[in-house]
Amino acid sequence: MGLPIAVLIVMFPSILFPSPNRLINNRLISIQQWLIQLTSKQMLMIHNQKGRTWALMLMSLIMFIGSTNLLGLLPHSFTPTTQLSMNLGMAIPLWAGTVITGFRHKTKASLAHFLPQGTPLPLIPMLVIIETISLFIQPMALAVRLTANITAGHLLIHLIGGATLALINISATTALITFTILVLLTILEFAVALIQAYVFTLLVSLYLHDNT
Amino acid sequence: MYSIKVREQTKKEKDIHKRVDTQDSNMASPVPVKEKKLMEVKLGELPGWILMQDFTPKGIAGAFQRGYYRYYNKYINVKKGGVAGISMVLAAYVLFNYCRSYKELKHERLRKYH
Repeated sequence: MGLPIAVLIVMFPSILFPSPNRLINNRLISIQQWLIQLTSKQMLMIHNQKGRTWALMLMSLIMFIGSTNLLGLLPHSFTPTTQLSMNLGMAIPLWAGTVITGFRHKTKASLAHFLPQGTPLPLIPMLVIIETISLFIQPMALAVRLTANITAGHLLIHLIGGATLALINISATTALITFTILVLLTILEFAVALIQAYVFTLLVSLYLHDNT
Repeated sequence: MYSIKVREQTKKEKDIHKRVDTQDSNMASPVPVKEKKLMEVKLGELPGWILMQDFTPKGIAGAFQRGYYRYYNKYINVKKGGVAGISMVLAAYVLFNYCRSYKELKHERLRKYH
């Protein structure tokens, strides 16, 4: 896989989002504007003033991951989000940003996250260790979740499609398997739901760190 | 805006060509070769035209930008654009990826000998 072509493929979804010039735009831009307004209102509702400065970052994140995953459903295409390196590159800086923001502005509250309220005294050391581990596993979980879901979906489509083609000569089973492919593709188009999951999880983390 | 300027120039060029052709068809056209569009260039002038094109990075970027806006203004930036505008782009994307992975796909053909 040549390196220059991968760069082109990662940059390709940006062509599909033209920037609005006028008050009333063409249909493509109007549809995208409406969707983005819907999503951003939904997402930024739970944040206070400080959290809402992250609006641009979160919206561009969801647009990028959503469009990349949906383009990966086209035949023969390459999905950059199947590469763990890329997802780690997205997850770790964003998570670290939320943690550091929490530490800078509300140091005592952030440190207090490591100990839930009302724990019995002997359990405290173990619980601090557990909470630290669960904090540090957050970026890994974000990256691996996205990679594993998209990769697994693509793999299933490949395998089931190949099985269908092989079974065409042995008919009567073919109809059943083709149906399974159809249903699977439809469910896989809830890759967009996965985007929702990604940004939502990121969001929850930001919320807890910054605003509580 | 750029495309409107170029269109007017070619209309003027066509009038010039008509007058030139009635007088002497072998004479070199008064419009310099470099500024003509591809359809206006005569066949003999074609190698010269190709060599005189702007191959600097700025020139290539300008060519991509012109091509992008040409497609955008024709199919997408219209009052009642349809699904054809964006689906042509997606079809070209599928074709591009097929060409990119042809080497691996060659082995999956239904042939007796690969």
